[in-house]
Amino acid sequence: MEYNIRIAGEAGQGIQSAAAILGKAAMRSGFHVYGYMDVESRIRGGLNFAHMRISSQDDEGVRSDYGILMALSQKAVDAFCENLREDGVLISSHGRDHANRMPVDIEQIAADAGAKAAVSTAGVSCICSLAGIDQDVVSKLLNEKFQGRREILEINLNVMRSAYEAAGKTGDEGHGLRPLPGTAKKDRLFLTGHEAVALGAVAGGVSFVTGYPMSPATGILNDIAKWSRNTGIVMEQSEDEIAAVNMLAGASYAGARAMTATSGGGFCLMTEGVSLVGMIEVPAVIVIAQRPGPATGLPTKTAQGDLHLALHAGHGFFPRVILAPQNIPDCFEITARAFDIAEKYQVPVFVLTDQLLQDSFASLVEPRTHQLQRERHLLDAESLDAMKTYRRYENTDSGISPMAVPGLSEHVVVVDSDEHDENGHLIEDALTAGKMARKRLRKAETVRKAHILPAPVIEDDEDTDHLFISWGSSYETVKETLKGLRRRGACCAHLNLRQLWPLDTEVLGRIWDRYKSVTIIENNVTGELCTLLETELKRTPDNLIKQVDGRPFSVQDLTDAVSDIIHVRTAGGGEKK
Amino acid sequence: MTDLKNAYDSGVEIAWCPGCGNFAILKALKDALARLDLPPHRVLLCSGIGQAPKLPHYAHVNTFDGLHGREVSAATGAKIAAGDLTVIVHAGDGGAYGEGGNHFIHAIRRNIDITLIVHDNKYYGLTKGQASPTGEQGTAVGLQPGGIVSSPLNPLALAISQSCGFVAQGASHDADGLSALIVEAVRHRGFSLLNVLQPCVTWDRAHTYAYYRENCYRLDGEYDPFDRSRAFDLVTMDSEKIPLGVIYRQKRADWHEAASRGSRDQPRDRTVDPARVHELFGMFR
Repeated sequence: MEYNIRIAGEAGQGIQSAAAILGKAAMRSGFHVYGYMDVESRIRGGLNFAHMRISSQDDEGVRSDYGILMALSQKAVDAFCENLREDGVLISSHGRDHANRMPVDIEQIAADAGAKAAVSTAGVSCICSLAGIDQDVVSKLLNEKFQGRREILEINLNVMRSAYEAAGKTGDEGHGLRPLPGTAKKDRLFLTGHEAVALGAVAGGVSFVTGYPMSPATGILNDIAKWSRNTGIVMEQSEDEIAAVNMLAGASYAGARAMTATSGGGFCLMTEGVSLVGMIEVPAVIVIAQRPGPATGLPTKTAQGDLHLALHAGHGFFPRVILAPQNIPDCFEITARAFDIAEKYQVPVFVLTDQLLQDSFASLVEPRTHQLQRERHLLDAESLDAMKTYRRYENTDSGISPMAVPGLSEHVVVVDSDEHDENGHLIEDALTAGKMARKRLRKAETVRKAHILPAPVIEDDEDTDHLFISWGSSYETVKETLKGLRRRGACCAHLNLRQLWPLDTEVLGRIWDRYKSVTIIENNVTGELCTLLETELKRTPDNLIKQVDGRPFSVQDLTDAVSDIIHVRTAGGGEKK
Repeated sequence: MTDLKNAYDSGVEIAWCPGCGNFAILKALKDALARLDLPPHRVLLCSGIGQAPKLPHYAHVNTFDGLHGREVSAATGAKIAAGDLTVIVHAGDGGAYGEGGNHFIHAIRRNIDITLIVHDNKYYGLTKGQASPTGEQGTAVGLQPGGIVSSPLNPLALAISQSCGFVAQGASHDADGLSALIVEAVRHRGFSLLNVLQPCVTWDRAHTYAYYRENCYRLDGEYDPFDRSRAFDLVTMDSEKIPLGVIYRQKRADWHEAASRGSRDQPRDRTVDPARVHELFGMFR
């Protein structure tokens, strides 16, 4: 049993905060919550929505159907009533002739209380009433939200009471909606993807963050900035992305755990700096929150279209690591681990999120931190003092040269974007140049052989001919799609990749060969993972399912696409073949 | 003062043209560091690409030789991470004012405690004689054989107009004066600009040592660098005579002060404690 809810209206009408109140209220009432945002690149007007799922299960796929539509504008009614389920409820002051409209005028309730802007509180209260969420839970949340703003708080509390009362009077239970069963789970957090990345960075020991605002990455920078007073983390807004990546390199060289976050266009500006990071071998964590390109593309929409960009960014050869979190808890875990990986191997680590992941939100079990590394991989003052000489680029077997930071001992630390000798000074002779190129190559091999993330796991049915491979943020929707099809008798295995580079080609090849048909599912125009696996595994998939319009895959669309491949009757019932 | 006279010798073979002004700038820098009593490991020199940016390799100090035009950005990151280092940037006129122009402007705004020493010879030396942003209009150069079309940038006027806390000009033919200016620039708390005039002995026939000796003069004790209008007039008036010395000063809160961060509160020194994140979880329950 679950509620699918769409909250729609204009930018500036408080859709995001309405979703947050509803989400937290549901979480505190013991439900699982998942939601994603679809917004336009504007501050006022237009048509935005939050899609929320409130349930007693933990499905987090993107769905396009809904049983409750809270519409704050006529435009929202016009756009979204069509897909409202037949037994659904419309909560709106518009669309008055709609058969399923709940007879509650939310705008009037807000106006009567003295603030039209409180309409979203009225709407959320109606939904909570329908879902059987206790009024006290909502009241407490409003108290938290409007803390220190007494007048606004009173208005919102009055709106809440009136809306609960009006919704209660309708006796609206004729639409198949029943309060959900559930018990409060105390260790739950309500997090957006960007908050999970930012918290992961804190857990990973970040001490310096810099960046230039760009959707959909900005949330991460905002979060870190908000917490900087409590955490001591420096957040320095850069004048451009080029400054950001070079500041990152300087800070990392001087011993800070440093990060930046941007999207494709901003990352393009950073690529020379990425090459610098690779050459001077300083740790770097770079979050690329993907959105559709080319150029400005669709600033507030989603895509998985920058895998090749991350893979090839920067001129010349140097080792790198590319990770893609698969859901919100994974945003925390992967970002936290990225700092240790970057420092251990002295490489850039790219964390590939996207608008879907950044702006979506969910209730989740409080992340555990005991398994995260505390040790740093830098030479401490004591061991440096014991060294007679120090060479920043000592030619080791692993290719990893022990890293010292400047100022910690009497040794000086020299790094150079030119080809350099072991001491870090620029050279041009063939012998040294070859040594250094081979050192970086050996380091790449060390990184390739390291178990950076645990080996990929096949989910569910292995006794099948069909394997579906996805990566990063498409995980939940693909998982739920396949789960639905399995319930209808289909057999299909799922592999979602979180580590995109380096690839464990042996393991992946063995997995691939167990299946008769392999399908790759990814949200981009050309099939970037598909191309990568063709090159690295020397295998061509039987099918490629793509999405090219800047929207996330939905369970509905994917169910149709997958059914075409494995011949499941979409109307329900067993496998055809 | 500990004996630091020979402490900065790196032993790296120097690859500048014979007679280049960079030799004098290198000497002035080493003298200044010794006078400031800074041992090599307390100093970080940042640079980019070109002839001037090779300088850090010729001094035994911490060195970050990064990308062309991005030296100020790297220095900013390093200074934030390790506020106890003395951070000095050596850039050419192309790196500082051309490729890195945006970073230059924002370094003035940010006012972080680093010193930018620009080797200003009006030419791109290492790429073989093209115009730099300070090149004189009308001069025939590599990519503009008919003469430089754009008018030259006035970095001193730009810095003064943006209330840069320390603006000075030195010259490579006056190594003693230059050394004193480096000392003052490093001692200034906040972003300091030191533009150093030098002849390009390979590409420039007009601005020779003789030219600079004849036209440069040292500002005397009468001159008040805190007078902004006078400073601005001095660097914008139409005159053949070129002032050397501290041209403009202003007391401003530097980045550490404005951001309310003590220079001892260094990101570099933070230990990694994953459990620290639990303190933030309360906001999300």
